[in-house]
Amino acid sequence: MNRFWRWVAGILGVLFLAAFAVLSFLAGSPKDAYGMVRYALPHMHRGTLKVGSDAPDARIVALDGVSRFHIRERTHERPLVLVFGSFT
Amino acid sequence: MTVYVREAHPTDEWQMKSNVKDDVCYAQPKTLEQRVAIANDFTKRFKFPLPFGIDDMSNAASDAYAAWPERIYIIDESGRIAYRGGMGPFNYKPEEAREWLAARYGAVKHDAPKSPADAAPAPLTPRPAAPAK
Repeated sequence: MNRFWRWVAGILGVLFLAAFAVLSFLAGSPKDAYGMVRYALPHMHRGTLKVGSDAPDARIVALDGVSRFHIRERTHERPLVLVFGSFT
Repeated sequence: MTVYVREAHPTDEWQMKSNVKDDVCYAQPKTLEQRVAIANDFTKRFKFPLPFGIDDMSNAASDAYAAWPERIYIIDESGRIAYRGGMGPFNYKPEEAREWLAARYGAVKHDAPKSPADAAPAPLTPRPAAPAK
């Protein structure tokens, strides 16, 4: 490997470490930075829905684990607040 | 209505210290039964009073609404998106949704239902001037 490529590799390595350090600081720790990149980023997306878009329908499972209903069933004649989230 | 979606910080993925502190430690559900069990733990632990549903294992609702890890939408009477909240956790702002609702429909005060099954949204009367969001 000639000198040029060694410099390129060195600079890229330093940039990678700097980016990881900044992400670790923002996320709270190196472990959280890894978790964010590995598990969160692949699932996070802004989506294409806009105010005025037709609300997508989806089949939802009731708490009994058996019954099903559709979001659209809950949107007739009155507004519906949809709150998405998990336990953790 | 609250829709339970895939876990954000399960023990087998990106668990956080706060999960241990709050004793909220679950592995990412691999089956619908596991997802339903966690959802029931949640509603029972917090005596959650609002209508509640669970996204199925295809994550259809979460994907359709780009809802993971947490997000709020308001659908109006015509079935259109009237309010689109930001992606959680940093842009998850329930107070903003509350203000939007109060501006459009007026402040609503009612007793919480005893259980998710009993829950039914209070009737609201739309106001003509709706703020754009």
